[in-house]
Amino acid sequence: MTKKSHENDVAFIQALAELLQENDLTELEVMRDYGENDSLNVRVSRAKEVVTQVAAAPMAAVPVAAAPAAAAPAATASEDPAAHPGVVPSPMVGTAYLQAEPGTPAFVKVGDKVEEGQTLLIVEAMKTMNQIPAPHGGTVKRILVEDGAPVEFGAPLMIIE
Amino acid sequence: MFEKILIANRGEIALRVIRAAREMGIKTVAVHSTADVDAMHVRMADESVCIGPPSSTDSYLSVPAIIAACEITGAQAVHPGYGFLSENANFVQALEDHEITFIGPTAAHIRMMGDKITAKDTMKKLGVPCVPGSDGGVPTLEDARKVADEMGFPVIIKATAGGGGKGMKLAETADDLEMAFKTARSEGKVNFGNDEVYIEKYLGKPRHIEVQVFGDGKGTAVHLGERDCSLQRRHQKVFEEAPGPCITPELRAQIGKVCSDAVAGIDYIGAGTIEFLYEDGEFYFIEMNTRLQVEHPVTEAVFGVDLVREQIRVAEGLPMSFTQDDLEVSGHSIEIRINAEKLPNFSPCPGKITQYHAPGGLGVRMDSALYDGYSIPPYYDSLIGKLIVTGRDRPEALARLNRALGELIVDGVDTTIPLFNALLEEPDIHTGDYDIHWLERWLDKNMG
Repeated sequence: MTKKSHENDVAFIQALAELLQENDLTELEVMRDYGENDSLNVRVSRAKEVVTQVAAAPMAAVPVAAAPAAAAPAATASEDPAAHPGVVPSPMVGTAYLQAEPGTPAFVKVGDKVEEGQTLLIVEAMKTMNQIPAPHGGTVKRILVEDGAPVEFGAPLMIIE
Repeated sequence: MFEKILIANRGEIALRVIRAAREMGIKTVAVHSTADVDAMHVRMADESVCIGPPSSTDSYLSVPAIIAACEITGAQAVHPGYGFLSENANFVQALEDHEITFIGPTAAHIRMMGDKITAKDTMKKLGVPCVPGSDGGVPTLEDARKVADEMGFPVIIKATAGGGGKGMKLAETADDLEMAFKTARSEGKVNFGNDEVYIEKYLGKPRHIEVQVFGDGKGTAVHLGERDCSLQRRHQKVFEEAPGPCITPELRAQIGKVCSDAVAGIDYIGAGTIEFLYEDGEFYFIEMNTRLQVEHPVTEAVFGVDLVREQIRVAEGLPMSFTQDDLEVSGHSIEIRINAEKLPNFSPCPGKITQYHAPGGLGVRMDSALYDGYSIPPYYDSLIGKLIVTGRDRPEALARLNRALGELIVDGVDTTIPLFNALLEEPDIHTGDYDIHWLERWLDKNMG
């Protein structure tokens, strides 16, 4: 295989990865036939989003036999949303709500442009609804929590860039 | 019956509660700050919730965060451990408002005992002995003489407005009274603009004796004898034992009954400790702690009961699993507190534990959240472990302490372990002849 075709392959895989990201897909598989005995089979995948799960992450290293079954998948995430530069972490522990009240539209959806300070979602703690503002302007790339999901302090809520 | 409880604490006491809950078949939720992600209590609990940043104000002391953690995990009750929110009446009230059970006394009892004056007045009414005093200002020397003669010398004369040691004068005998009275008055006048003084009995060499009580909240209460915690540095206990070396069975039964009657009289629920100064066969009330104490294991050892299990039981509305008649002292138990502190100044010493080995064998209990490779964060208390040894009698317990200390390894940080090795060389420790000033004096002489 020449150096040139290697570079092409890398560019192709990179393009696939971007496609995966942009369309919020979980897995993408492509087979390319260049000729006899010359084919490229690519499968790009990422683990299902880690919806913040109480006890999921820290439980991974439990020395006693008490770990719930849900603990395992967390470790296989292909990327850590919490480490993303555009992450919006939860400033408190509580319950996340994506809209002001049931039946009304969500504050934001993927693809929306948001300004700094704009309300992204609500985290409820002790019956108090805390509006979580965008820490910076940009486009909502990912929403990492489901409506009504429990969130821990520091849990990644959204990615805005 | 509780299915799931949340432990609003960290370190060894969180493990202590998790262990009791697990034996009762109750699921546990640990809460933690971002600094405690790798802490042992997080690993040992069935679930965990990160409730805030390292600062305890925003995590372990945050009432909204802890209540939200209960709500998202479905925990039905909260055990507060000791410290943090364990004696916070507002927290107890907030839990009640959210229909979550607090494993401990009522908000009203916490408030009552949290206020020194209300606590003393209440205890007096309940028949608990307090430091004798003049109950208010003493206007003339004749009044002072009358009060002092009644309670007996030595007495201390204190300026009502005083503080920080100013306006306090000791009268060893009746001959010193006039001088002490006048000096305290003029010091009060000069320093605080008020020459009113009052008189209290002066205790020269008191011991710290505390009585463990337990109530079911329905008018029944028991006592579980006393602990002697006289070895203190800056009001911090370092070495505790049960039973007290100077307390006879008769004295124990007598003060124990006074204490259990007192808490029964206010329908107290759960574990509590009534602290006294003790001198010459007399007890003088200091304060009541409305929670589990750090040193509760020595009481558990000599009575063979699990106090945390009992706390959870009565919080569920169940009766206590023992009566006063079931409770008999057997053997002798000593606890030492191991802090991550550098001697001789006891300066906190956080850092990474490179090696940890807990002692074992008959009569040895090690309550600690340490493990190999654990990093002690700098944000919290320096207590890293409690070594509790129990023997058939005091000499056996002391010999066991010496043996267990020889097995204990905590490498990577400085600890207070060398202090205990040194104390075990002291004859006074072996005879039990010490008071609340003994350790400070010893430290001045040996580490000053």
